[in-house]
Amino acid sequence: MTSPVPDRRTAEFAAAFVELRTALGRVLIGQDDAATGLTLALLAEQHAYLEGPPGCGKSELAAALAALAGARTHTLVFHRDIRETDLLGDVLLSRHRHRGHERLRRELIPGPLLQAEIALLEDLPRSPGEALGPLLRILAERHALGQPLPLESAVATGPLEQVEAPIDPLEPGQLDRFAVQLRLTGLLTGGLFDEAAVLLERGAARQPPRSPARSAHALPAAIPPPRSAVMSTATRKAAQRAAAALQVEPRTIDAYHRLLDRLRQRSADESASGDRLMSDRSFSSAALRLVRAHAFLRGAPAAAPRDLGAIRYMVAHRLPEEVQEDFDHILEELLGDPPNVTMAETGAQMPGAQSQGDDSDGAAAASPASDSWIDDQADLPAPPTLFGKPPPPAQVDPLLRALVGRIERGRIDPDTDPGGQPRGYRPLRDLDELIDADVIEALLFAEGRLPGAPRTFERKRRSAGGAVAVLRDISASMAGRLTVWSSQVVLGILRVAARRRMRVGYVEFHHRALPHHVGGRLLHRSYSRLAEQAGQAKAVGQTNYEAPLRTALEGLRGGSGRNRHVVLLTDGLPIIGDTTVRRERQLARRLGVALHTVFLGNGDCPPVLDDISQETGGLRFHGRPLAGGGLRLEER
Amino acid sequence: MSDLTPLRDLLDHHVVGHDEVKTALLLALITREHIYVEGPPGTAKTRLAEVAAKGSELDFFFYQLHRDTRLAELVGDIVLERRKVKTDDGEPGTAGEAERIHQRIEPGGLLTAEVAVLDDISRAPGEALNVLLRILNERRFGAEPIPLMAAIATGNPMDDEYYNEPLDPANLDRFALQLRVSGLIQSGVDEAKTLIDRFASGSVVEQPDPDPVTDRATLDALNQRMYQVEVGAAVRAALLDVLRTLVLEFECNETNSLLTDRTFLVKAIKILRGAALLAGRKAVDLQDLAALSWMTTFRVPPEAHEALPRIVGRVSRQIQAV
Repeated sequence: MTSPVPDRRTAEFAAAFVELRTALGRVLIGQDDAATGLTLALLAEQHAYLEGPPGCGKSELAAALAALAGARTHTLVFHRDIRETDLLGDVLLSRHRHRGHERLRRELIPGPLLQAEIALLEDLPRSPGEALGPLLRILAERHALGQPLPLESAVATGPLEQVEAPIDPLEPGQLDRFAVQLRLTGLLTGGLFDEAAVLLERGAARQPPRSPARSAHALPAAIPPPRSAVMSTATRKAAQRAAAALQVEPRTIDAYHRLLDRLRQRSADESASGDRLMSDRSFSSAALRLVRAHAFLRGAPAAAPRDLGAIRYMVAHRLPEEVQEDFDHILEELLGDPPNVTMAETGAQMPGAQSQGDDSDGAAAASPASDSWIDDQADLPAPPTLFGKPPPPAQVDPLLRALVGRIERGRIDPDTDPGGQPRGYRPLRDLDELIDADVIEALLFAEGRLPGAPRTFERKRRSAGGAVAVLRDISASMAGRLTVWSSQVVLGILRVAARRRMRVGYVEFHHRALPHHVGGRLLHRSYSRLAEQAGQAKAVGQTNYEAPLRTALEGLRGGSGRNRHVVLLTDGLPIIGDTTVRRERQLARRLGVALHTVFLGNGDCPPVLDDISQETGGLRFHGRPLAGGGLRLEER
Repeated sequence: MSDLTPLRDLLDHHVVGHDEVKTALLLALITREHIYVEGPPGTAKTRLAEVAAKGSELDFFFYQLHRDTRLAELVGDIVLERRKVKTDDGEPGTAGEAERIHQRIEPGGLLTAEVAVLDDISRAPGEALNVLLRILNERRFGAEPIPLMAAIATGNPMDDEYYNEPLDPANLDRFALQLRVSGLIQSGVDEAKTLIDRFASGSVVEQPDPDPVTDRATLDALNQRMYQVEVGAAVRAALLDVLRTLVLEFECNETNSLLTDRTFLVKAIKILRGAALLAGRKAVDLQDLAALSWMTTFRVPPEAHEALPRIVGRVSRQIQAV
């Protein structure tokens, strides 16, 4: 254990980080969790990923961390065209005369990012995944070009995962490089109006940015004034070392094992989807570093079970949402102690700290008994029944995969498009493309020493066209489980369409067609509005195929392009209207629209559905409800 | 009355109608915020932006965006630089030299302009816009601050017939002021008559180049004065009540709206101050809250945007009653 003298120093180091935490909390009102999470990340030398809606202060917070910590910083704004040289450094071309020949060799000079102690990676997901690979590896290994990096923490920011986001979200494996994962909410949309009032008051007191004489090149008012560091580099590094060396009490390790058990169990119950990740890397070394940092910040001599509270700053992309929300509660129950409020203590001066403490207390008091129920359930041999609970979303996957495959048929290969992402090389055709050309080859080309043209990125992009209309039977027989299930199918299709920027249409039908127009159109890109609608369907009336098909085909008629689809979800025989829908089938063939049909139920599928699909090249599915609450899906 | 009256007169002289767009343009110049104007083709969007820029004697950059727009066209030339560096390659018999190759951009276009007009912004590919809009947002390129005061972007309505891809919502948020215009003739307002009369009288020269009526120094001074405009507790309370109404009554949330803290808690204060200054006031008045509807156009659902004047009216009455 440590001797008394270093102890006093250690207290100083801890105080510096507490001050950092307090200062961060002042920079951004109402984002206390993020301030704490970032402080812990720096203290534990872990990387952090901040996500949140635009304009909630992600970048400001990250920049403040770097400034307050007094660290050497480099900011990199990610975009579609980010290049290796931006990430890693400049290229060095060395020429050597060697026995009458010239030898050319390319090397890399480490760029500012590789020299930074805190790296700020803004809008990280805007870069194509392929470009991120090398960088993320370097971040994880903290080694580049055979040298250890001075990097302590990388702080990345990204947008909130949204249905409408035009960018593909990072994969869980990529996100896993960031031990600390924090999700910020806006004050307004989060309903924190008291904090919003404080921010308004600050704005009203704001002074002009600079003297008018310099204003031509002065920074605008939106950029906060430079902050001075609250600690020296020596203090920061000493604190990190001391925090890493902190003992972890045996009972903490024991509690950690139980916490992981509990989290695994709850995650398995909540979701069958495999997009969450509890990796060994994060939950062994990184987690324990954070737990130690938490104890260190508290001024404790060793990490106690309550310091497991630090794990909550890791879970944003690692646990299902329901489990994340419950994390404090799960931990508290495990410890059998009053709720963990250590961080609120250090943040007591902030206006936001109060309300946050209240919230967690309220949530904790609300349902003390419900978690023990889960333990009991775990002992039962039979799987838990699903009264009133939606079936696991994974069940719609086979259908969605098949539909996506069909939607993408013929255009799996992205088209060449100057606005697309780099997906390979081709020779330069136009001097304008020099920005995308390999620098060395471009130089040799300019010198007239390259026999051909330099390589330049071939940019490609998936065609964003196409349209899909979902026709959903809401007749009386679709009540209950089938409603839930078909909602999931609709949501799944919306998600697929949103990612490909396809226009979508949504028609509910019983004896009549009930199209949901947005801006007077059946087909549009208001995905989230439809998603909301799809969750609200009520089952009434009888079945009519003709009306919805007619509505959808009329909507699709105006558009062009080949990639047009209609998905018909139904559980019954058509009773009203033309039950053979002959004219609609003809129209679909003429327009080249694929009609996919999905029949739900244990009975026989009406033959007309087979005809519809076969004639138009659509897929045919049959979903049979199972006794346990699931649904078996097969191709007809 | 304000120092910008001559510029306003100039706009009135060159373009008939579009009162709101003109005011919002002046507001953008005072507050140094960007503005996005959406409307069908031929509604004087570009013309207004051009007159405002030339009339204030500012370095002006005009760019027509298109489907293949690339960064280099907006920000300057791409340059390959090489510098000799010493190498100490220990290998014997290798007399050599090395060059450090660096690719950079020689600033031009948007990076050197004070006012930029980005025409038909919705035509550029969504992802390509990201960099451009980030420059607009940060007003710096790399580490270098840029002299840009305001960017004026125009776009066509995002209906299918224009074959545009809708702007990424985060991108739209870069434009603090957002307006929708409609054609005078199509909407049949009185000004349509004036417009036709003007052309019928033969007194109009097509596209005359406006003479400068104001300058950078005036705009700088106005920008400084803007920060002296008082934002009282009553106005702040009213603003917060309007926002609260949008969130609680109109259910604006992260999925259907862009009710961001940056825009509505930080920039809104600037816009209100600018509006008061433009009206010649030294303190923000409750009636200045009307300017909020130039911020909500594409940020909240249409029904909430349409209801905004009503909400502002109701909240103002309540605040006055207290």
